[in-house]
Amino acid sequence: MTQSVLTSSPGRRARRTAWAGRTMLTPVLLAIAIVAIYPLGYLVASAFSESSLGRPFTEWVSFANFAELLGDGVTFPSLGRSLLFAIPSTLLALVVGFIVALSLDAAVKSGRIVRVLLLLPLMTPPVMVAVIWKLMLAPTGGLLNNLGQILVPGSEPFLFLGSSPSAMISLIVVDAWQWTPFCILLLYAALQTLPSEVYEAAQVDGAGVWQTFWKITFPLILPTIATVLVLKLVVSFKVFDLVFIMTSGGPGFDTTVSSYSIYRTALQTFDVGAAAAQTIAFLVLVTIIIVPLNAVRQRLHRED
Amino acid sequence: MSQLLRGPSPDEELVTRTVVVPAARRRRTPKHRVASSTRPGRTSAGVTALKWVVIGVAIVVAVLPILYMLGMSFKSPDDILSTRILPSRLAFENWAAAFQNWPILTYLRNSILSAIIAVIVALIISIPANFAMARLRAGGKQALGLIVSAYVAPPIVAIIPLFILVRTVGLMDTVVGLGIVEGLLLTPVAVWLLDGFFRAIPHEIDEAAQIDGCGPFRTLWSVILPLTAPGIVAVSIIVFILVYNDFLIPLLLTQSDASQTLPVGIALMQGGREVMFGQMAAASLAGIIPVYLLALFAQKWLVGGLTQGSIK
Amino acid sequence: MSAQRRTSFRSSRPRVAATLAALTAAGLALAGCAGGSGGGADGDKTLKVLIAAPQEGAGKILEADFEKETGAKVEVEVVPYDQIQTKAILDAQSGTNNYDVIQYWYTSVGALAESGAIEDITEWVDGSAEIDAPDFIQSIFGPYTQYEGKTYGLPIDGDMHVLFYNKEILERNGVEVPTTWEEYTAAAEKITAAEKANGIYGSAILGAKSAFNIGSSFFNRLATMIPGTIDPEMPQLNTPEAVEAAQAMLDVAPYALPSPLEIGFEQALPQFLSGNVAMIEFWTDLGTFAQDPEQSKVVDKWGVAPLPIGPKGHVAGALDAGWAMGISPNASDKDLAKEFVAFASSKATNEKLITTTGSGVDPIRTSTLESAKYKEFAPAVAAVAAEVFPNAQSWPTSPEAPEMLQSLNDNLALMLQGSLTAEQAMSQTWDAWQKLKG
Repeated sequence: MTQSVLTSSPGRRARRTAWAGRTMLTPVLLAIAIVAIYPLGYLVASAFSESSLGRPFTEWVSFANFAELLGDGVTFPSLGRSLLFAIPSTLLALVVGFIVALSLDAAVKSGRIVRVLLLLPLMTPPVMVAVIWKLMLAPTGGLLNNLGQILVPGSEPFLFLGSSPSAMISLIVVDAWQWTPFCILLLYAALQTLPSEVYEAAQVDGAGVWQTFWKITFPLILPTIATVLVLKLVVSFKVFDLVFIMTSGGPGFDTTVSSYSIYRTALQTFDVGAAAAQTIAFLVLVTIIIVPLNAVRQRLHRED
Repeated sequence: MSQLLRGPSPDEELVTRTVVVPAARRRRTPKHRVASSTRPGRTSAGVTALKWVVIGVAIVVAVLPILYMLGMSFKSPDDILSTRILPSRLAFENWAAAFQNWPILTYLRNSILSAIIAVIVALIISIPANFAMARLRAGGKQALGLIVSAYVAPPIVAIIPLFILVRTVGLMDTVVGLGIVEGLLLTPVAVWLLDGFFRAIPHEIDEAAQIDGCGPFRTLWSVILPLTAPGIVAVSIIVFILVYNDFLIPLLLTQSDASQTLPVGIALMQGGREVMFGQMAAASLAGIIPVYLLALFAQKWLVGGLTQGSIK
Repeated sequence: MSAQRRTSFRSSRPRVAATLAALTAAGLALAGCAGGSGGGADGDKTLKVLIAAPQEGAGKILEADFEKETGAKVEVEVVPYDQIQTKAILDAQSGTNNYDVIQYWYTSVGALAESGAIEDITEWVDGSAEIDAPDFIQSIFGPYTQYEGKTYGLPIDGDMHVLFYNKEILERNGVEVPTTWEEYTAAAEKITAAEKANGIYGSAILGAKSAFNIGSSFFNRLATMIPGTIDPEMPQLNTPEAVEAAQAMLDVAPYALPSPLEIGFEQALPQFLSGNVAMIEFWTDLGTFAQDPEQSKVVDKWGVAPLPIGPKGHVAGALDAGWAMGISPNASDKDLAKEFVAFASSKATNEKLITTTGSGVDPIRTSTLESAKYKEFAPAVAAVAAEVFPNAQSWPTSPEAPEMLQSLNDNLALMLQGSLTAEQAMSQTWDAWQKLKG
């Protein structure tokens, strides 16, 4: 084997490496082409044309779809609602997840069972999450209202999903319920990799619980928090199943977030051109939010 | 400091060692209590109790809706409408009826099969790509970002063109077609999560392999792959779960019972005039059980996978 | 080393970019191609039928019976009702031709005909004595099948709302079966005030934001309040009666099962069947569910009547939901497809389906509406149906109907939520409709 080393020059090896690299990268780029670039191309083409479901690209209308966007009173509110949903849901899941992650080390012996139980919400298909919670929140016959009736007999049923702002709040809570285990998992795993020497040193120095947390734990875990934040935010922007099943965007339009609004435009009024324009607006919003956050995240990681 | 390479498996030992990390908020211990460094597993009783309270509440909140669904699956139609919380009798017939009225086993098979295919597709594509980017320095800095950004957009974007494409190549309404599409869609996630594992291995190993005369492919196959195996297993499990739970894509790419997946099947149960909630609950639980079992047996890998995957 | 890296990166880029461009172009070309070879041309006779989920029971019966009679294989694909139009149009226009027979919601007849998803079968229908077109209930046949003077399908399910009431609840509150919407609201108010503490309400209003729910509640009132009939081209939302109809919904909402915006038929039905609701506007098959001891706690305790009317209106009903079947222009065996459609809408089949619990099918022919078997199977309902079906009124059926209905539903939901008055809901919808047409 040492022979081949002597006979292949560094240059040749480097070229072979480069070629191998390109070859290995090709499948993933193909995959991206199929599931991202091609749809994006279709999307952009639709946004600039008059398209309906079965008859795409019937007419080039340049920026007409976008102009309509600005004045339709539907797109911008739905973008706002996407923000209104994604940010609180992320923060809620993150904060609660962090608290639980910090506490999990107490459950050493029963760790496995505890962790699996805590993972249950994440393992449940979003469709079923929506169905269960919708039943639990129902005004008549729902679990929460039933409990309410037991505590205060004869009281008015509370309309969790039928009134605002509780409809949006309910969606936020349900989404956080489903994704908090995700945050718990990531944060707990990160906490596990914190070196213990620092803690031992801090204790020798006589640092208290609170100080140790703020000056040591929190800064060390900040990069992970940033990662979890960005991941969860991305997931929350994509929410669809919950809205589709629990509120159909209602009451009125109060929970019609962008993804649901696009669905309506495309598959209920079949105006694919308008839906495409709306999607592009949505992508712009997501990019504006995520890119700076990701930059911060990368900087935090590099600072280690 | 957090880049200390501990490897992906969360030992219980590890837990004991870092238990010194205190819980944040209210503390009932005096400020300057010295926790013994010879027994790093001990903190004050008050803090531990608080932690157990937190865990307890978290478990109740996490499990309650699932228990509710379990209870519902045993409720007769009567019970479901009344304000009773517990069933008055165990309606086992819901379970029997659910399996009779709907092809739950078929749905399960389709869900599992499409998820497995998706995992295989995603791995076949991402492993070489990750290797190339992490160890062969192909693609530069942009490639990873470009690939991962493909996952950020909601699938609504991709639905219509994908529908047309899948139709045209004749893979519509097939489990295989669904698996392939899902695999492609989830490849960015696999790439993102595998990145940490592939970068964690010291370069000396690559160089040693090169000196031994291995080309890049050989290096990947014989040397790097075994070392990243735990991470690959973890990522496979995550991708499996994400595909298993997907709703929108299977909804649009499958039409017949023979290839529809469980989430779609459950959603379809709501279409008719009379909705048998008890049966729906039973069907849902039947579908969730495989995923739960997977989580139970694989949760060690899961934690490891996510550890390496995102603290990067 | 870094020089190498840059080289490999730069040289791979253009090649990759070229691949991506080619793929994208191919994709776009495929997408833009409306015609092209369809898949699924099998030699054997398999008929592919697209069925809506509410008619799944009927679909299975049709499948079995047709196979028995003709020996041809039938494959039924069941789809949620709000997906039918999407699937039918996509199927036809993307050239993939999966379906031979399409069950469609009648309001989309215009849209489907316009986009070429169903075929003009006027000649066949007019020329076939077997089909017996005049036997169809005319108030149903027109809206369900006609577009621009041509026939595009045959009805298979009537689907009208009538008023179901719980006799016991009405009696113990001293309330008579209402005949006007004013009486209806008053009755609901009285009953709810008296029995709310026990979880019993005077009425259940379907207000969930899907067409079959909130739309039904509205059109029920519109059909019975306007002096004439609803114009399927452009329902008369610009009349005072339309505002009254919307207002009637708003008036009774506070006394209805909480909360109307969250109530769809799958929530309302079980509540009525368990005796928690005094009055409900619902499809006629509620009568069969109510008599089924396994599901119903109100067996023999319910009654049925025509919907209440408004001061200027008359006894009528609205065609809430309602299904017909058409043939795909790209069906591989059109004759077989036609045979199936004729079979599904035949007297024998309709009679069988309307007397089968769980089929979800209503009368579509005068002969079946008045048949002895039907009267025997569901006497109370059959009597009311006979009164109301001939006066059935239609929702919009023009090609813009899907968008019109969405706009109407949105504004009605906003009204129920309290953001719009009845008048605003009507005028905003009317304006939106004018824009759609113009």
